[in-house]
Amino acid sequence: MKIGPVKEVFKNLFKKPMTVMFPEEVVEIPERNRGRHHLDIDNCISCGSCAKICPNRAIRMIEAPPDFKEKYPKTYPQVDLGKCCFCALCEDVCPKDALTLTTNVFLATFEKEDTYVNPIEV
Amino acid sequence: MTSVKKKYDASDFEMFFGPAHPGSGNFSVKVEMRGERVLKATADPGYLHRGFEKLMEYREPMQNSVLSDRVCVLEPLQWNLVHAEAVDDLMDYDVPERAKYIRVILAELSRIQSHFIWYAVLSLGTGFMTGFNVAMGYRDYILDVFNLITGGRVYPAGYICPGGVRKDLPENAEKKILAVLDKIEYMRKFASTENLAWLSRFKEVGILTKEEAIKYGATGPILRGSGFVTDVRREDPYEIYDLLEFDIPVHDEGDAYSRFRVGMEEIEESMKIITQALDRLPEGEVRTPTLKPIVQFRKANGETYIRNELSRGEGAFYMVATGEKTPYRVKIRGPSFSHMIPILERLLTGVNYADVPAIYWSLYQCPADVDR
Amino acid sequence: MAAIEQEKTDLVEVLSSELDASITLKKERRMWVEIDSKKIVDVCLKALQLGFEHLSTISAVDWLEEGRFELVYHLWSYKYRTSLNIKTKIDRNKPSISSINSIWDTYAETCERECHELFGINFEGNSNLTPLFLEDWQGPPPFLKDFNWREYTLKEHYKEENPREQVYFEVKK
Repeated sequence: MKIGPVKEVFKNLFKKPMTVMFPEEVVEIPERNRGRHHLDIDNCISCGSCAKICPNRAIRMIEAPPDFKEKYPKTYPQVDLGKCCFCALCEDVCPKDALTLTTNVFLATFEKEDTYVNPIEV
Repeated sequence: MTSVKKKYDASDFEMFFGPAHPGSGNFSVKVEMRGERVLKATADPGYLHRGFEKLMEYREPMQNSVLSDRVCVLEPLQWNLVHAEAVDDLMDYDVPERAKYIRVILAELSRIQSHFIWYAVLSLGTGFMTGFNVAMGYRDYILDVFNLITGGRVYPAGYICPGGVRKDLPENAEKKILAVLDKIEYMRKFASTENLAWLSRFKEVGILTKEEAIKYGATGPILRGSGFVTDVRREDPYEIYDLLEFDIPVHDEGDAYSRFRVGMEEIEESMKIITQALDRLPEGEVRTPTLKPIVQFRKANGETYIRNELSRGEGAFYMVATGEKTPYRVKIRGPSFSHMIPILERLLTGVNYADVPAIYWSLYQCPADVDR
Repeated sequence: MAAIEQEKTDLVEVLSSELDASITLKKERRMWVEIDSKKIVDVCLKALQLGFEHLSTISAVDWLEEGRFELVYHLWSYKYRTSLNIKTKIDRNKPSISSINSIWDTYAETCERECHELFGINFEGNSNLTPLFLEDWQGPPPFLKDFNWREYTLKEHYKEENPREQVYFEVKK
């Protein structure tokens, strides 16, 4: 009998597993990871470049909710994550760095409305 | 005896290998059989046809760059590179030196992880589940590096874009790449050890001669597995490949095992390229600054044909621009197109049904770039 | 090696005289030639004899305004390390050209099948022109420039305008 496989078995017995136990432990997510969008509405100049470059047309320029209309009179990007392919072209094209992609990757949801990233979260 | 023979003759039947077969991918082969013997095989692609060539006519080059990842799931960075080179050539961009090095490093890492998947599906085909799990596990270390650099594990979303790359390497990237090379070395040794299961399943199975391989349009590891020394990186150098030293592994037998050996030896060459490129990595810009972030494609006029050495073979882009915002016509040549239709049909004729999986996976299939 | 280099410099002249057409060298290792569509089999055979062994692919371009299809045969020579792109134009209304399956066998046939399916080009002498990708496709060839995919899907698959599609047409390019 060859000794090689036996050695391998013992080596693997005491090795740290490749996987992690999810809710307790989380794999470290790098800074560049393309996750959920975040809009810094005060910086947004409503130029619409993000809506133009989006390959999937996931971004729509919409008006702010009625309560905020006085403060924010222009149109602002609303991202439909159901259509988004997370290419971060909108982030690159934004002249004021108002629209950014965060490292938040936990996007599973039960409600369809939750897939929209609105300019103002009510 | 005659009655048995008669019965045997009556047992002509058709079998479908895929698309629901585990590991066959979105691809199907209709096999006409007599008993255990395959009489005729007909490849049936089209389960993954997404019409990229048509889609690209409606989009601007930066958006196409994002789209070009999706041509093949297993080597998205390399498809990114082919597309970016085609646009670079039409627009006459001067790609900065540093960007060229980063492109090559990422393309070679992508080649290695693609070869790991090849090892994984070959193991799956022979029922060697340990090999499958280990290869997929070690591939994940490379995906971590991709996540660090490009921001996506599998899809870089146009990281290698026209005019350079979208972002510079992060600070700790070089250290991470060197650390991952150690992991790759372990996996390479694991994959290169002689294995009785491999030898008995793949030796002298699916022999493709050199002349046939050239006639049927074979490229890459399949052609090198038939004993023909060729490599697009050497013969038609792009980026910085003419400055780098690497060997071209070749095996003469032309059977499934020699194709697999070529693939595993290529991992070592890719590692050599990565270490050389990391050593020489210059400082500077990573993207032509004037064009950030939109490509002024209206300036482009003419046509170009760009060939690259992907992990599966020769991948190419034919792009025609007529001074519009979008390309007039894009043609993508996937390496698996010749391997999966004419060569597979040819190799499967007359073999035992038990050899079908071995031949199928030894051709390094990727249904995604057959259909596009 | 030096001999091959020498041959390579002569290659443009040799090809020009052999193929009876003018070769343009657009950049290093890329040669383009335009020929008459009737001569395609002869030219490909001559190219093969000169060392262009590898057929990379066949691309079709639909020039709608001109009313012609353009077929491009991308060849590669392992010996001279250069590519030869043979361009030829055929009539758009009666697209027909001789098949080169006598030279590159089933691989050429497969490439031609693709062109036949997506552009409707007929290849004379190719007996196997069954569709590759599209299943039960009744409409016109989908890659033609005048094929309105939106109209087609509306007619075939939807009864009315899909409100969810609206956003795709809000932004003007």
